[in-house]
Parts: sequence; C-alpha cells; structure tokens
Amino acid sequence: MRVDLEDLLFSRGRFSLRGSGTFGEGVHLVSGPVGSGKSTLALLLAEILRPESGAVRRHGISSALLLLQFPEYHITCSTVAEEAGSWGLDPDELLVRADLAGRGDDDPFHLSRGELKRLILACMIMRNPDLLMLDEPFSSLDCAAKRRACSMIEERSEGITIIFSHERAVLPRVDALWEMEGGTLKALGRVPGAIPRWRHAPPYLTYALEQGARPENIRLQDAREALCRTQG
Amino acid sequence: MIQITNLRHRLIEIPDLTVDARHIAVIGPNGSGKTTLLSVCSGIEEPRAGTVRILGRPPSAVRIGWVGEFPDRTLLFSRVYDEIAATPRFRNRSCPETDERVRAAAARVGISHLLDAKVSTLSGGEKALVALAAAGADDPEVLILDEADSHLDAGTADRVQRVVRKSAAAHVLWCTQSMDTAACADYVIFMEGGVVRYHGTPDEVFAGLEETCFYPTMWRIRR
Repeated sequence: MRVDLEDLLFSRGRFSLRGSGTFGEGVHLVSGPVGSGKSTLALLLAEILRPESGAVRRHGISSALLLLQFPEYHITCSTVAEEAGSWGLDPDELLVRADLAGRGDDDPFHLSRGELKRLILACMIMRNPDLLMLDEPFSSLDCAAKRRACSMIEERSEGITIIFSHERAVLPRVDALWEMEGGTLKALGRVPGAIPRWRHAPPYLTYALEQGARPENIRLQDAREALCRTQG
Repeated sequence: MIQITNLRHRLIEIPDLTVDARHIAVIGPNGSGKTTLLSVCSGIEEPRAGTVRILGRPPSAVRIGWVGEFPDRTLLFSRVYDEIAATPRFRNRSCPETDERVRAAAARVGISHLLDAKVSTLSGGEKALVALAAAGADDPEVLILDEADSHLDAGTADRVQRVVRKSAAAHVLWCTQSMDTAACADYVIFMEGGVVRYHGTPDEVFAGLEETCFYPTMWRIRR
C-alpha cells in the first residue's frame, strides 16, 4: 500500500506547489507555515484537485478519506446520531468513541468546535480507510482532546495516515516527517533520523536536541525520556 | 481595569473578578465558557444577569477590536482591502484616512501583499491575519482574540503575538489552547465548567495545573 507523488505541479494565481515522494504505510506528519500549501497538498492527495502536471498514484488503496480543517463542512444531517448513521456507523458506538454519550439528539452545529472535530474524526477512524488524510486535526482542540485524537491515530494499526498540522504541543507517535516550504514538499525521512532535520519542530523537541538528547519520536514524553537518558 | 460582578450568562457564573493587567490569557478545556466570557466582555452578547465593566464603562461603550475563532464566519467582504476598510468605514472615517488606516494595519500584520487578493483564495491562517488587521484598523481600546492562534503555524502565531504586544490597547484579552503562549501573559484565567477555577499570574495558575496537560510544555521539559 503506498501513494506516489510523481513530479506533482499545481498552480493557482501566484502560488504553485511542487512535490515528489512516496507515502508508505504508517503515520506521516506534514508541517509547514500558513499558506505553504499543506491544505492544497491534502486536496491533491485526496484527488479533489487535479495537478497541472505530474501525478498522484495510489497503489493497493481501496478507500480514502480526508478530514477538512473546518469540520463544519462535513456535516450533512441535523442530529449527531443521524450524522453517525450517514457514515454507516452505529450511533451508540460512535458517541462513546467520540466521548459524546447522551448527545445523539443534539444539532451538530450546537456542538463546540472541539466536540465537532472529535465527532468527525471518530467517524473517519471508525470507517478505517486505507488512506486517511487529516488536515489540521488538532486545531481548536484542548490538550485532553488532542491526546485523545493522538491515541485514536496511533491505534490505527494499518494503512497510511497523513497528518497536515502545525501543532506544537501534543503530537502523536509518527513514522515519517515531511515539510512544506514555499509550496515545495520536502521529505525529511523516517523518525528518529529525521528529527534533527525538522525545522518546524516544537520548542520542547528543539530544546531537547540542543541539550544533546536524541528523542526516539516527536512527543513531549519522547523528549523528556531522551533528556533523562542524557542527564541521567 | 476589567470588573465582573455577579455575572451569569449561558453556562458561565462569575461572582466577582477584577483584573488589572494588560495581557490576559483565558484558558481551559473546550466548552468551559471561554468564548462566552469573551463575547460578553466584547459587548457582542449582553449578560443575562450581572455586569461587566471595562475601563469603567460597559463593553458596548468601549472601542473593541475582535478576532473570532472562525475567520470564515466573520469575514464579510470579498476583497481583503474592503474587509480591513470596513472597520474605519463603519466608523465614518474619510476615504483618505480609511486608506491610510488600511495600509498601516495590513503592514503591521505583514499582509500588505494580500490587499488586492480575494478573501476566498486565502488559507485559513491568512484569513486570521486579515481579521486581526481589521480588528486593529481603528485603534481599539481593547483587543479581544478568541483562539485566533488555533489555525496559525508557530511563525505566524509569533507574528500575531508581536502585533498584539505592540498594540496601544489598554487590555488584550485572548483565549488560546497554547499553554506555552499563555505562560507569557501578564495574567491567566483558567475556566472549567463555566467557572473561574484559577486566576492570577502564570506561575500561580500553572502551579495548580502541574499534573494536567494544561501545564506549558516548555516548563515541563525544563524541570
């Protein structure tokens, strides 16, 4: 199972996006500044946008889902339970998974931002697609909800998960790092080897590296453990 | 000075809170009432009971710049220039003065190159920057930002912090999910279930949160 980007080129107005590389099984994190093209790349990978030249080629992938940055755009029903049903999921099971038990009759637009994000993320994780693309899955979530989202992502034992995010405090364990800079996608490689090359690393990770620690992954706990090993 | 007395509105209940600090961070879990508190302090909503006074006046009598959490929902005009110009135009500034204010506000936020762009072509983060420029275009006495940094990368969030720090507003009230950012505020209000659980300097408030994920990551890693 993999997705190949072959000399991808996409332009809109002054902006152009270029990218090559292979997304294999596991969790990938694509970081980059605002306007660097993360969301555009997500749309290209989801085949919602078509490249000007080059191609996105999927191998062995039979299902794909994209979580949009603003979860409002996913809503199609007037209650939370109906929304779960529209995904072909059992509402009760979903509500527990999304920590929204007892909220089945609520209007999705009356949920808080974090609750809505949790609802849609839980729907997607439960659908378990081969290719799951998450555009800013952590934005607007509190730290407890971010942790829950991270563990949901980490529980996915197979398939390809690609996270597009600028999150700097609560991150999941990942397998590979990528960066978008000025519209160009750059593969940093597999974790942990890629960590010292990661220019958008969260401050705690940068601090640990500066102290001579070599974290095994990108989470706060990885940085703390690495510091403990270094400092004894 | 921000004075809150016997406030009851939606889920929030704040009997008495006086804050005399400039940069005030409001933190807490999703659904704890942060946005409701900011809406009442901005004058967007009238409280069901109790009073809020800012600079000795009700919020509706204070010149407030507001940046909402969902820039998609608050941007009204199709061109960036017109969005920022709306603030001085609605206050009946002359055309030359409006133009001057728009260009100055855009330059402060670093989006001068986007003035002629269509709002619909901007990224989520760029929209937040447009909303910030519009909020600052008419010298607000108080700036209120509702999780404006949720959709910003670190570099842009730092830029917003710098702009906000330089603003002449008497108070900057913002809520954030970045505890590392909140740790730099003069004063922190931690809300939970509609009530103010902790308030005080960052040291005082985070001392009560050390066992939770609300403790700043940089404080934890340096311990």
